[in-house]
Amino acid sequence: MTGNAFYLAARSLRWYRGRAVTIVACLSLTLWLPLTVRLLLNQFRTDIVSRAEATPLIIGAKGSRIDLALHALYFDTVPPESTTMAEADYVQDTGFASAMPLHVNYRTQSVNDVEGVPIVGTTVEYFEFRKLYIAEGNGLAMLGDCVLGCNVAARMQLRPGDRILSAPRNAFNLAGDYPLRMNITGILAPSHSPDDDVVFIDLKTAWIIDGIGHGHQKLADKTVDDGMLLEKSDDHVTASAAVLPFTEITPENIDSFHFHGRERDYPISAVLAGPYSRRDQTLLLGRYASSRTETAQCVKPTDVVQELLNIVFRVERLVWLGSVLSGIVTGLLLTLVLLLSIRLRAAEMQTMWKIGCSRYTIVSLIGTELLLMTICGVAIAMVAAWLSRIVAADWLRSLLF
Amino acid sequence: MIRIRNLAFAYAQSVFDLQIDELQIQASSATAMVGPSGSGKTTLLNIIAGILSPDSGCVSVMETDLAGLSDAARRRFRLKNIGLVFQEFELIDYLNVLDNVLLPCRVDRAFPLTSDRRDRAAGLIEDVGLKDHLKKSVTRLSQGERQRVAICRALLMRPPLLLADEPTGNLDPVTSDQIVKLLLRAVQDEGTTLLMVTHNHSLLHHFSRTIDFAEFLTTSARGASVEESRR
Repeated sequence: MTGNAFYLAARSLRWYRGRAVTIVACLSLTLWLPLTVRLLLNQFRTDIVSRAEATPLIIGAKGSRIDLALHALYFDTVPPESTTMAEADYVQDTGFASAMPLHVNYRTQSVNDVEGVPIVGTTVEYFEFRKLYIAEGNGLAMLGDCVLGCNVAARMQLRPGDRILSAPRNAFNLAGDYPLRMNITGILAPSHSPDDDVVFIDLKTAWIIDGIGHGHQKLADKTVDDGMLLEKSDDHVTASAAVLPFTEITPENIDSFHFHGRERDYPISAVLAGPYSRRDQTLLLGRYASSRTETAQCVKPTDVVQELLNIVFRVERLVWLGSVLSGIVTGLLLTLVLLLSIRLRAAEMQTMWKIGCSRYTIVSLIGTELLLMTICGVAIAMVAAWLSRIVAADWLRSLLF
Repeated sequence: MIRIRNLAFAYAQSVFDLQIDELQIQASSATAMVGPSGSGKTTLLNIIAGILSPDSGCVSVMETDLAGLSDAARRRFRLKNIGLVFQEFELIDYLNVLDNVLLPCRVDRAFPLTSDRRDRAAGLIEDVGLKDHLKKSVTRLSQGERQRVAICRALLMRPPLLLADEPTGNLDPVTSDQIVKLLLRAVQDEGTTLLMVTHNHSLLHHFSRTIDFAEFLTTSARGASVEESRR
């Protein structure tokens, strides 16, 4: 009977296709939402937890713990209050952890209609810490070099040897940062992490974008036009605004780049700390809890992420509740549709019974129709949820961070 | 073939009351039943088919007392031994011509769909002149063609008994004549017993016996029948 039941049910569904499609669509939509939410949240949980678990400690200026953690982990958020290189030096000097300073203050300009991405200034230790490898080209060798995350390279269609410009944070600040034209030396292998979606530069290059370091033509040279100088004496030179800084670092002008002030005062947005042992981690946390609470904070990303996940779980529960309610309503409506449909098909069932079909067989025919529609509805919902997860994962990440 | 004795049947909450003292129908005969509407012709067919159970009395079909069978056994007995043809054809709209004819093989595991039965169905369809409509939806057939498909379905299992309930009720005279001839051919070729309800007296000459329900019923049943007719 099973084969015949499926055959007759399939024929019936084809004939009453309007009703069948409506029921399948209702089922799919009812199941799709909670399934998608569950998949997306699982994906989100996996992403955020694994990234957090791979980052023992984050140190930064006082302020929002969540902002600091998300900024240091995902880059793509508003930078928290800046701290200074002194914080990284402090961590390093404690001997409890290796310090990896991060300076994420700028984005690139858009390329090929693709929106700009964050520029991450860091040191070579970061690449080792995150296990990032160059897939194409070379690593950072000199000032002005950059390497691209694989997604950035793919989206912006850039290759080693191409150039990319940083975007000024404020177009109206004439005395501020100028766009720096950076030389792309390499592209990172996929790491399936936020590192795929940013541009990496050396920390000093980041400070050049900040305007802390710069290069310009030699003002002490006798060939310099006097119109460019406001004041000139034996021991110092004051240049006018006519002297423009270089906006690209080349082998020819690299020697003219220099920094003003002490490096320990230069800004950074966070420090990743890699303690050498569990004991060192505890000691470092203790140091920050006891003696540096005025200016800095040291957070465990896993704790911060857990706080964030607790909020997400509450949202998830709300979504589930809504889905259960809409599922009940859909179920009741579908029951009504089925009962009406059975009533409309009463003559057909009567005929089957008259020619010798048992009531059990008639029920199994209807059951098979329901089963086929349910299978279709569930399958469509699962495929749609899976596709939604692929499409919406990046969107959700951008929405949350 | 059919033997009825002291039959009594009444529908719940109805004045209708069917009573038959004695009725016998010979095997391989063609019998027509005529009578006023509401006199119980269709009810009698349903009782003979085992679709309805009498309140009392004995109904024996092919030496089998239907009252002694369980519901499932009666259903199987019907599927195997009785072909039914209805006034409204009662075909399944979502099946094509061939699938409608093969329907009895798709509703019970005891009568599986074999190649023999497929060949039989195709042969029957060809015999009634619908060879070119094998895969066509029955909704696209004319009334006469639909009734021919219903007759093929009734004959598929080579039933010894064919019960037809006003099979020509919705058809024009020419088509009605063709349909009756088709049914009678089954009697002639396969020795089937045919019991057909009709209101069309011009068809009666085709049948070896005619039962007039107006004379046949008991007095009380006749009174009820007149009452039903008036309604």
